[in-house]
Amino acid sequence: MSSLARLIRQTLTIARRDFVATVFTPTFLLFLFAPLMMVGFGAVGGVGAASISKSGDDKARIVLLASGESARTAVAADRQLRTMFRSLEQPPRLIVENPGPNPEAQGRAMFERKESDTYAVMYGPLDRPQILHSVNGARSASYLAALADQVLRTQRAGTTAPLSEATKIVVARPGASAGGQGQAAFFATTALFMISLLLAGQVVGTMAEERSNKVIEVLAAAVPLESVFFGKLIGMFGVALLFLGFWGTVVVNVGSLLPVKLATAFIDVGPAVGLPMFGLLFVAYFVTSYMLLGAVFLGLGAQASTQRELQMMSLPITIFQVAMWGLASATALNPDSGLATAAAAFPFSSPFAMVARAANSAEIWPHLLALAWQALWVGITVTVAARLFRRGVLQSGSPGLRLRRRAST
Amino acid sequence: MSSDLAVSATGLVKRFGNRRVVDGVDIAVPRGMIYGVLGPNGAGKTTTLRMLLGIIEPDEGERTLLGNDRPREVSDHVGYLPEERGLYPSMKTTQAIAFMGALRGLDWRTGRNRAVALMEATGLGHATDQKIRKLSKGMAQLVQLLGSVVHQPDLLVLDEPFSGLDPVNQERLEKLILAERDRGATILFSTHVMAHAERLCDRLAIIAGGKVRFEGTVADARATLPFKAHYVPHHPNPGIRALLPADAAPEGDGWRFTLPDEGIEGTLVKLIDAGYGISGLSIERPSLHDVFVRIVGAKALAEAEALEAEAQP
Repeated sequence: MSSLARLIRQTLTIARRDFVATVFTPTFLLFLFAPLMMVGFGAVGGVGAASISKSGDDKARIVLLASGESARTAVAADRQLRTMFRSLEQPPRLIVENPGPNPEAQGRAMFERKESDTYAVMYGPLDRPQILHSVNGARSASYLAALADQVLRTQRAGTTAPLSEATKIVVARPGASAGGQGQAAFFATTALFMISLLLAGQVVGTMAEERSNKVIEVLAAAVPLESVFFGKLIGMFGVALLFLGFWGTVVVNVGSLLPVKLATAFIDVGPAVGLPMFGLLFVAYFVTSYMLLGAVFLGLGAQASTQRELQMMSLPITIFQVAMWGLASATALNPDSGLATAAAAFPFSSPFAMVARAANSAEIWPHLLALAWQALWVGITVTVAARLFRRGVLQSGSPGLRLRRRAST
Repeated sequence: MSSDLAVSATGLVKRFGNRRVVDGVDIAVPRGMIYGVLGPNGAGKTTTLRMLLGIIEPDEGERTLLGNDRPREVSDHVGYLPEERGLYPSMKTTQAIAFMGALRGLDWRTGRNRAVALMEATGLGHATDQKIRKLSKGMAQLVQLLGSVVHQPDLLVLDEPFSGLDPVNQERLEKLILAERDRGATILFSTHVMAHAERLCDRLAIIAGGKVRFEGTVADARATLPFKAHYVPHHPNPGIRALLPADAAPEGDGWRFTLPDEGIEGTLVKLIDAGYGISGLSIERPSLHDVFVRIVGAKALAEAEALEAEAQP
């Protein structure tokens, strides 16, 4: 058997052990269904927030102190103007009340009512209306001003019917918009960061098992440490793939049940390289980001001799990860900047930066280059981690360094 | 380096900080032999074995394992039981043995089948489906040993294999070592318990202070010390001392002295003629323990034996 074949066999033996030891345990179910808890807590929080928001929306209002024809025209104009707003951007509900002898005092009193939240009150002649508004009611005041203007136009035209009848034609844009590509870049970078954060972090403590059980001596005698490290990375990557496969299937199936209207909201969001290629590149960059960050975490975690040391390492590790994501996401909307090039070149932010680039630019060749560069750094990182482990934990000089010393003498 | 040697090392040196833990060790282990590395605790035995296996690199010196100067290249033909035993507690016994075989190139299915056969042959058949965490320390140690032989290695390296085993399991282990030798494997093991070495070793090296102090067969080792005689006179008298060899020392009712090169007959004739008579006489062959004490020193031996006593289950 050739050295390479033996190395691969040994690596896969370690990977298989780690995969089986991780997946066939009750703890894995907890890990697998952890997102359900996240979704559950999110849902509970969302329901609470929506309830609070709805309660606030029900009480919010803007008031027009007018009567007669002006009031009726204003209600019709309000109905027409509201069609231009998305549901979440609608102005507060319009309330029309008859003006009293002192409309200013009447209006001011409305801001003091406890049963409703008044944002703005308009009174007086519509060509010179007076508008009272709360500190955060400036937009409502502007809306009322526009409403007064519309009422006057309607009155001068002598009809509430539309003066023009537009024909609306839907035109599909060939590909995503420039803004949509930027959004896709940001979404992809964030998604890649999130799954890397969740999954690659699992690798940190894996060497601790071998150290506490003293199995490391058995492994170190039988296989090169590089194989041990690669095997652990691959084993845990298998676990990550299982996790993603499960949740990917769930998301795709749930996604197909969502209303079409929701899908059209993202019609302009898309990657420059096209969706199938983007999917492939996303998977490829997930592999490299997992391997790169996992190798760093594995190497650091292997140096820890106690659980306390391991816990102490989690903070700098998370900061490092967030820094890489921050660097890459900062470049998502400026793909041609020097910072973007630097983020793509720096190996540990490169997968994040390059997935953003795939969303922003249709060129494919830089990705082949980047993937090769990242794979090279996976090898370098694992080799360095193994040597540090050999030197620090097994108390041995590196054979490579030793040979160089000999050669130089 | 000759390919007749399973293991060879010349001038191995290992420093930890400023301390030379191994200080120029030479070892030559012929194929097919049981070779013991003896020494008190801290003598450098484990470090030497780890260097031979390529787990750590020597600072100086060269070594070959099964004729290859890169131990990793032949790791599939080597079995190793480290001093610090290590198994995954969540694994079942047969899985653990098969896993250790798989690390050395044995396919999993064969590994599992052999694991069952080995466990039954070693008297552990009742534990084939048990998890490691359920086993006693001695049983777990035997399981690990089976894991180191499951791929039928050409060279088996055992670091303090008897440490922590009860007498029953020690006997099982001795049988297993002999069976491996009969299969054709070379066995290299370290110990500081002389009885095992005396019973098992074809050749041995005694290491102390990081250096090899003796290398040869058990008989060679014994030959480094003369036979001893223990003589009990029938009529004790202080004047008897003048007729005994110069190193004679009183012991119990008699005297102990080194057997003279020309034999004991002349001394006995003088004692009988002088009327002291013979109430008891025994000629004692020096033990490996005696040789070890002389080479290593009584103090180091006492420390080693204390450690051994602590390690007993």
